[in-house]
Amino acid sequence: MNDRFDSHATTTCGYCGVGCRLEAHTLDGRIRSISPAADGPANEGHTCLKGRFAHQFSRNRERLTTPLIREHGSLRPATWDEAIGRIAGDLTRIKRDNGPDAIAGLASSRATNEDCYAMQRLMRAAIGTNNIDNCSRVCHSPTSFALRKSLGLSGATGSFSDFDHADATLLIGANPTEGHPVVGARIKQATLRGMKLVTIDPRRIELADHAVLHLAPRPGTNAAVMLGIAHVIERDGLVDRAFVERRAEGFEPLVELLAGYDPDSVEEITGVPAADVERAAHVYAEPPNACISWGLGVTEHKYGSEVAQLICNVALMTGKIGRPGSALLPLRGQNNVQGSSDMGALPDTYTAYRSVGDEQVARSFEAAWGVSLPREQGYTIPQMFDAAVAGNLKAMYIFGEDVAQTDPDTAHVVRALESLELLVCQDIFETETTRYADVILPASSFLEKSGTFTNAERRIQLVAPAIDPPGEARTDFEIIAAVSRALGHELGWQGPEDAMREIAALTPHFAGVTYERLGRTGLQWPVAADGTDAPILYEERFERPGGRARFAALPYKAPGDAADDEFPLILVTGRRLQHYNAGTMTRRTGNVELSDRDVLEIHPDDAARLWIEDGDVVSLRSRRGRIEIGAQVTERIEPGHVFTTFHFPETKTNLLVGASRDVNTSCPEYKVIAVDVRPIGERPSRLPALAGSGAA
Amino acid sequence: MRVTVDGVDVEVADGATVLDAARAADRWVPTLCFDERLDAFGACRVCMVGLEGSPGPIPACTTPCRDGMKVETADPAARRVAGAVVELVLSELPERPGAHTELAQVAAALEVGEPRWPGESHAPAAPDTDHPYLTFRHELCISCGRCVRACDEVQGTFALTATGRGFHANVVAGLDEGFRHSACVSCGACADTCPTDAIDERSLLELAEESPR
Repeated sequence: MNDRFDSHATTTCGYCGVGCRLEAHTLDGRIRSISPAADGPANEGHTCLKGRFAHQFSRNRERLTTPLIREHGSLRPATWDEAIGRIAGDLTRIKRDNGPDAIAGLASSRATNEDCYAMQRLMRAAIGTNNIDNCSRVCHSPTSFALRKSLGLSGATGSFSDFDHADATLLIGANPTEGHPVVGARIKQATLRGMKLVTIDPRRIELADHAVLHLAPRPGTNAAVMLGIAHVIERDGLVDRAFVERRAEGFEPLVELLAGYDPDSVEEITGVPAADVERAAHVYAEPPNACISWGLGVTEHKYGSEVAQLICNVALMTGKIGRPGSALLPLRGQNNVQGSSDMGALPDTYTAYRSVGDEQVARSFEAAWGVSLPREQGYTIPQMFDAAVAGNLKAMYIFGEDVAQTDPDTAHVVRALESLELLVCQDIFETETTRYADVILPASSFLEKSGTFTNAERRIQLVAPAIDPPGEARTDFEIIAAVSRALGHELGWQGPEDAMREIAALTPHFAGVTYERLGRTGLQWPVAADGTDAPILYEERFERPGGRARFAALPYKAPGDAADDEFPLILVTGRRLQHYNAGTMTRRTGNVELSDRDVLEIHPDDAARLWIEDGDVVSLRSRRGRIEIGAQVTERIEPGHVFTTFHFPETKTNLLVGASRDVNTSCPEYKVIAVDVRPIGERPSRLPALAGSGAA
Repeated sequence: MRVTVDGVDVEVADGATVLDAARAADRWVPTLCFDERLDAFGACRVCMVGLEGSPGPIPACTTPCRDGMKVETADPAARRVAGAVVELVLSELPERPGAHTELAQVAAALEVGEPRWPGESHAPAAPDTDHPYLTFRHELCISCGRCVRACDEVQGTFALTATGRGFHANVVAGLDEGFRHSACVSCGACADTCPTDAIDERSLLELAEESPR
């Protein structure tokens, strides 16, 4: 291979949900270079600047290398025994005084399946509560809900390779060339070969330049767009009658509902020209094979879970599901958003989305773990913060998530964290959230651990360590096992592979998963006991009662926020190519040389009206809060809208986001925030840290 | 259809190339401008093989298979052409490329020694270090076009361009603005495919200099 390095590890990227397979090359205990694995099924020898270059964070001097304990208001280094003793002591006391439901845990969509499985077992078996959730709550929980409701299983129905076989694709509320660059490149290559692409997004994303049609609906009106497309498909005789009759149910109520969504009415609601709605429907429905792909622009809304069901409707009406080139491909945000939920790190389900109230399932876990388990659902993440502020939740154990930077309504989150008697954070860096921690445990990055991630294609892929954790840092898996042991519940695993054996034994959909079978290219669940996996779902039947998919007759409803005289513009938040979410990793790499701040995108017409010039610092105020940020005047955004990111903690973008949430899954409405924008001066006056304590 | 490579019969699909057939037969064919991720280009003439009934060697990467073809991978004329091409390419470089590079490896495999052709070679320039990750060393460019094609066919950004003619042929980002100020999205596909390190990761420059020649 290469003589410049002393070791190599093949692993799976820890950034987004694409699941690129990587070769990490090390020299003297440091990552020196990362290259794409030629046989990676999702990336086929390609990767983006995050996967390939943004690895210097792994040896950044700010890495947490020793446990920290808060004493007399400030943090001091501690031994592992002290830190774990403090956690076990406090949790035992809180459980004795307030019951197990006064304690909650957050697993991480950045961590491995085995880490997340261990965390939910810790909460359920060692503590005795279903108060366990993960950050997919604030991104793709509506997708998961909708896919289960409409089709049966919570996962993409096909693979990224379906883009290579599709004649057309609808891309809704996603900007893959920035958020999922390797899939973005794949979609772009498909368009260059002649695949017809329709982009639907309030921003003119890069792929819109390669599309046959770009629809720019008003934020929060996706439901009307999908209903309009369905209306045209029905009206123009593009319905696959045989498929609908044989494989689905509930079509008649939908047809009745669609009558009210003719293209002109849809234009009224969405601002999308009626002719464009008609053309989009024909581009999708006419050719033999087409895909629909979507991102957080669909889910992070008050009715996100309903829109995802309306998307399923369109695929079901045209029979474009269950074969190569015809698939529903939600672009999952984080590397293991799929897996952390598959593993049962959710307040209402065990592994593979089996309800905590299901007696037979609960008994199987009770038998395996030797404890009795609660049958009632636990708190979702937003409910945890509400309960903490109300005084009902006393302790949280958060690993791999920076809720104080990424969750909505930052002031409320901070109030919740300050209300806790015990906050345990397990992370690789100090974050906005660790400011409020009583114990901080130094954990490991994806380059330092073993286990598996599950990508957006349901593909379970091996993660292998390339380097050791720095200092005294340990792997998340080891830490969770140690905390569980201290609480009197021995997990009994030598390593992550033992955890996967237990998952396979207790979960029919994972029955045939072994590390040996995962090999270099992984397996797409469900995996039968003989190791046969499922690149395509629903070829013959849907995973619902009677094997039939379910149409959803759900009308358009207005979003949770709307522009008015005081807040005349709509803010949409999202991600940029160079950075990743809270930026904890990418801000500590050369990527900051390429992009060193969050900016507010504003259309030239709005900018001229508001006397704002490119680079000006503006005040950005919502019903919830106010921040200051530099403006970028660009035609990528539609008039009436502004866009920004939340990669830099000093920006505090999420102060602006309100409490509006998806009606079914409580996923926050990050995508529709009424704001007032005005110029203020030359420099932003950054808000002081929200921490009340004198923490570092 | 059936193709015979070095006496070994292999079954190949319609549209397969002679290089595909050779690989299916587990026979080595030297390549330089070829990358599996890219459409075959057929520019370098290093993948030459002998073909029964053909007046001279043929390029394996762009020649489609026909049923009954008989291919000799180690055909002496083909190997002579390939070695001469690699030697000419090396003769333009100011230094031998690092041992880990594809060019050095194919040169070693073809037993190409010091180039016998004296003449002009590219003058080393200071590496472009404007971008945090990617750097050019134009003097190592052999104009194989792999970076330009990777940017087009794998990433789809079209940020790289072939420039100049003859001895001055080279590659630039955008209108020679450097990676940082071009349309480049820093995916690194160009550095990954470059067979000489003319495009390399900045952080690996020091390692490249340390590596034995």
